Amino acid sequence: MDELEAIKVTFFQECEELLADLEGGLLAMQDGNDDGDTVNAVFRAVHSIKGGAGAFGLEPLVRFAHVFETLLDALRSNEIPGTPDLTALLLRASDVLADHVSAARGLGVVDMDVSAAMAAELKIATDPNAAPAAPAPVAAAPVDAAPQYVDAAPIVIGADDALDDDDLGFDFQPMTITLDAQAADAAVLDGNVWTVSIRPKSDLYRKANETALLLRELSRLGPIQATLDDSALPALEFIDPEAAYVTWSVRLETDQGEEAIREVFEFVDGDCELEITRGEAPAADVLASLLDVAAPAPELAPAAIEAPVEAPVVAAAPAPEPAAPAPVSAPAPAPVAANAPAAPAAKPAQIDVPGPGQSVIRVDPERIDRLIDLVGELVINQAMLAQRVGEYGIAPSSNLAMGLDELEQLTREIQDSVMAIRAQPVKSVFQRMPRLVREVANMTGKQARLVMDGENTEVDKTVIERLSDPITHMLRNAIDHGLESPEERKAAGKNPEGVVRLAALHRSGRIVIEVQDDGKGINRERVHSIAVKKGLISPDLQLTDEEIDNLIFLPGFSTADKISDVSGRGVGMDVVKRSVQALGGRISIASRPGQGSTFTLSLPLTLAVLDGMVVDVAGETLVIPLACIVESLRPKAEEIRPLGPVGSVLAVRDSFVPLIDVGLTLNYRDRSPAATEGVVLLVEGEDGSRAALVADAIHGQRQVVIKSLEQNYQQVEGVAAATILGDGRVALILDVDAVINLRRRGPPLPSDPTLIAAE
Amino acid sequence: MTEPTPTSSTETRELISFRVGEQEYCVDIMAVREIRGWSPATTLPQSPAYMRGVINLRGAVLPIMDLAARIGMPTTEPNVRSVFIVVQAGDRTVGLLVDAVSDILSITDDMCQPTPDIACENVRHFVRGIISIEGRMISEISLDRLLPEREALAA
Repeated sequence: MDELEAIKVTFFQECEELLADLEGGLLAMQDGNDDGDTVNAVFRAVHSIKGGAGAFGLEPLVRFAHVFETLLDALRSNEIPGTPDLTALLLRASDVLADHVSAARGLGVVDMDVSAAMAAELKIATDPNAAPAAPAPVAAAPVDAAPQYVDAAPIVIGADDALDDDDLGFDFQPMTITLDAQAADAAVLDGNVWTVSIRPKSDLYRKANETALLLRELSRLGPIQATLDDSALPALEFIDPEAAYVTWSVRLETDQGEEAIREVFEFVDGDCELEITRGEAPAADVLASLLDVAAPAPELAPAAIEAPVEAPVVAAAPAPEPAAPAPVSAPAPAPVAANAPAAPAAKPAQIDVPGPGQSVIRVDPERIDRLIDLVGELVINQAMLAQRVGEYGIAPSSNLAMGLDELEQLTREIQDSVMAIRAQPVKSVFQRMPRLVREVANMTGKQARLVMDGENTEVDKTVIERLSDPITHMLRNAIDHGLESPEERKAAGKNPEGVVRLAALHRSGRIVIEVQDDGKGINRERVHSIAVKKGLISPDLQLTDEEIDNLIFLPGFSTADKISDVSGRGVGMDVVKRSVQALGGRISIASRPGQGSTFTLSLPLTLAVLDGMVVDVAGETLVIPLACIVESLRPKAEEIRPLGPVGSVLAVRDSFVPLIDVGLTLNYRDRSPAATEGVVLLVEGEDGSRAALVADAIHGQRQVVIKSLEQNYQQVEGVAAATILGDGRVALILDVDAVINLRRRGPPLPSDPTLIAAE
Repeated sequence: MTEPTPTSSTETRELISFRVGEQEYCVDIMAVREIRGWSPATTLPQSPAYMRGVINLRGAVLPIMDLAARIGMPTTEPNVRSVFIVVQAGDRTVGLLVDAVSDILSITDDMCQPTPDIACENVRHFVRGIISIEGRMISEISLDRLLPEREALAA
């Protein structure tokens, strides 16, 4: 990959982030948070995309971004009011912009009709009169319109490094100010006069930009008169030679609009404070304050020195001696064009820039994955060492054992840190959803508003990548099947706009994703009758409400009356369920008729490591996730009460918990030994249900590296994954919920007896 | 698919032959990753009888399949001479428990006959063809059919 390509890749990465910022900002505006910062952030995002795209010559993208940006700029400067309709338009425009970015990247194509229509809409929104951008009529010609290039020797003030920027074609000519307040009024009312105040920040110079070049660019738009304000210049001994202290105020006559002026500053956006005002700045008082500065400090700051200013010649200006330490004769610190005193506005516009110092490193994810794999092996190796040391009977107080303890600590810390590197907020997945909701709502003719919560919940990258599909499916389902049409909603006395809530949260070591709609809820009668009709369940089967709700996860089940583009192909929820299960996750639905449904998806936080309890069951070693274990105990005979023909429960502080023999449930053995001989682990399932798992012995707590069973085999019911223990053997990690569910069904059966699987 | 499809009859292929009970089978050598001595496997619950369990193969969890049981014969009782052949089947790696590895065969496709139409459904399902060489009859295993479909248990 050549260098330009590499930069381009970075640009597209940044585009992703900028588009996310854009959408985030627009959504914040939609929620009524349309303060200046948000609008500015939105503007900046589009502007930066445009800037980068321009550098790579991505014409269609630039053109569209430009129109978009113009509208945002108008909004930013309060030329047009922000309305919900406008925000909706902006959101749709952001989708088109995203399409353009993808197309520029070679992924997909842009529907140019859509793009053109959107651009037209944006233009109309920018200027409701849809007047072609004709330059304002030129009023009175400025007194000395044409700039005359002064060919004077450059002035080097108190510095040896002479100005050698001869190639700039103009030089710096300090001039005495002739303060004439009246003169200022002359051309003020002329619409073609702009006052541009430029206050470079030190960063501008650090990035090898140059005010001189900016001024030259400005001069291309029309005659300029530049004024330097160095009132902020500290005394010599306090000067930071690399800091920027001065402000330029430029009076510009041009028939171009503000847009054109802003474009000049495109590459220094954020690195200088910029204020562009139409007309001339009310200068007198500012100038007066400038005059208070008795003697101008020598401009030591290199930044300030190397700023030749193209200034119209003013007759009365006494040219100071070249190489003079300071313009002695100048009472004012700044060269000012005599006939048109312009001064910086008192308060330059604050352009909100993300603070420096927040540096971000981009790392190829593969490197991190490799690191995580290695750390995983390290953990296994460390466990093996510990086991060997234990086998040799080395005293725990010996140096070796203590060193090993420290190694364990370190290993754990390394592992945590490495995992933290890979942890990402779910935002990256969530931010794609608003668009999906808009599109699905449009397609289905429903009104839906997406409310997102917990976007900053962090999960391991391995999980993030796999969240997108299930969430997409669940959202589609919620809008397509869950929400009613606006008319139906009105009839039911609801807001015609349905609300879909997407939330992420951490719960007992897992990430939980909830998709909630306020629609009609599941029509249980219909679900039941469809399941019967399709032969998924037998007609005489009595099911609880919860069981009926979960019928929608059966393969081949689809309740949509007609097959739509969106969902209803009958591959919806069972696919979701399967892909979630493959990740060691679970999905469930809770529904209340008339009030909506909630899909709850829970996944492990990481697919890499797990804290577990190592137990022995019927000669097999199993790992039970620590997150599920409430407590472990040795039951007394009187605490175990038989219930029914085969079952028994354990009395735990006045409550009765079903006893589940793990060996029996997993078919490791046919008869369970007396629970009093084993150890009982009180576990809590995902839905909060408790159970007492009986194991033969506990070996202790260990952090294990999760190894997938599916990679080379397939999912096994009751087993979440596998791991490799210190002795090098594979141990299975128990899926506690699945074990509880297996047991609930009574004696082990190949498939769920409440459902006749459609096989 | 790592299992090469036969191209022309003149092209020679190499196969690894092994013994399962009293019969000889073979797989394409290109699918074989390694051959290892038997080591105890961790039993998988809720699994068909032909799944012996899983072992640790340099950090990866490798399922071990009893080939005899898979094609419908009595399960193999592993002994010290038992080996498992690590093969690549589709995107999965799996160990096949066999009684012993015999040798490497070089064959051309015209030596390979279609499986005779016998009653056993299992054999027709798993055997691609039969090779007659030096008076021996060796059946070539169709690897991609050995592992159950992933989705089969997931519903």
